[in-house]
Amino acid sequence: MEYQNPKLPENNVSKEHPIKEFSTLLIGTLVLVVVISIALSVAGSSLAGLIPYSAEKKVAGLYDMSSHSDNDRFPKIASYLQQLADKISIAQSLPPEMKITVHYMDSPTMNAFATLGGNVFMFRGLLEKLPNENSLVTLLGHEIAHVKYRHPIKSFGGGIAVAIAMTTIGSSADTNILGDAGLLSTLQFSRKMESQSDLEAMHNLNTIYGHLNGGAELFRIFKKARGTEDVGSTKSPSEFFSTHPQDEKRINSFKETAKEKGWSESGQLTPLPDYFNF
Amino acid sequence: MEQLIYVAVFVSLGYFFGRRAEKKHFKSLIEREEKMNKLPAMGSRMPPQDGKYDQVLVSGSVCIANDYFKTFVAGLRNLFGGKISTYESLLDRARREALLRMKEEAYKLGADLVFNVKYETSNISGQSSKKPPIIEAHAYGTALRKL
Repeated sequence: MEYQNPKLPENNVSKEHPIKEFSTLLIGTLVLVVVISIALSVAGSSLAGLIPYSAEKKVAGLYDMSSHSDNDRFPKIASYLQQLADKISIAQSLPPEMKITVHYMDSPTMNAFATLGGNVFMFRGLLEKLPNENSLVTLLGHEIAHVKYRHPIKSFGGGIAVAIAMTTIGSSADTNILGDAGLLSTLQFSRKMESQSDLEAMHNLNTIYGHLNGGAELFRIFKKARGTEDVGSTKSPSEFFSTHPQDEKRINSFKETAKEKGWSESGQLTPLPDYFNF
Repeated sequence: MEQLIYVAVFVSLGYFFGRRAEKKHFKSLIEREEKMNKLPAMGSRMPPQDGKYDQVLVSGSVCIANDYFKTFVAGLRNLFGGKISTYESLLDRARREALLRMKEEAYKLGADLVFNVKYETSNISGQSSKKPPIIEAHAYGTALRKL
């Protein structure tokens, strides 16, 4: 008699199509990651807001901010900017321990930002496009308002919470976040933070000059720059502008706020000093 | 962003080539199993008692590499738990191929049956979790030829 094995059914392997499993898992993972990141970011930023300013200053003191600035080479511009910042600090009634330090950067990048410890960076690329002191005060006031409302530490806290979580689960998070580069580049403010700072900038503009004229000019410059794309040289401008409220909206908000608060929209524009020529 | 593109490319390459290889392999497995059907292979440790037999150890082993797609899906599966179906086919192929190779060896020796058949499966890609698993399946047994 010849031996015969029974034919076994092909049932060792699941019949589910691998692509189906793949997409279910991928979507599930993405949703999970997004939800957890948002939760961590919100929790981290609200907790970071509770850190006293003195502690923030200590952390910022670990980094040599002035090594990035060109204040030494342009003392006149630097002291002019610093003087304006001090004036704005008073107008925004910043607490005395919140000392603003302005760093001038001789770089064509069209940018300006505020970071930890009351350090505000202003780039030549943006400053050279400003037509008058009023728009400069708007810009500076906007950045100083970020410091006033503790936006840098909040943004930093949210970023760190996410980075710690990412490193814990083993994926290669940007560990640079704790380093020098991270301090200068990873801060991104939410639109809500930007609107809050805009409002504060309008307020100090009115306090200093008695009117809002020239303020909206700043956003027209942004709008124009965005249109031509002829901005900066290093990073794409959209990176900086993306979280900011739309230019048109910001220009309109000047009108609305002026009406609401009864502030004048016209008035004498203050020219920039002669040495502010690039 | 660049990394995402790399992953997407590797995953799709893994899917298309891996799946093609797998289909081909299953087809060949089924055909060859049919051919080897007449040669019994059993796990029983008791040899037949009905006469004298020549005996020889036969074995077959195979290494099967995983593809990027399977590793990726398995990695995602690790987050949620559950059966890793992409590895099921990998192990199934490896065991069946190893057994077939063993049977083919026994067949060449003119064996009438193989008894005391055992399997070993091992991961030969090392301990690093970063490397994709490569598995070896080894089947061995005692082939008997009636004298």
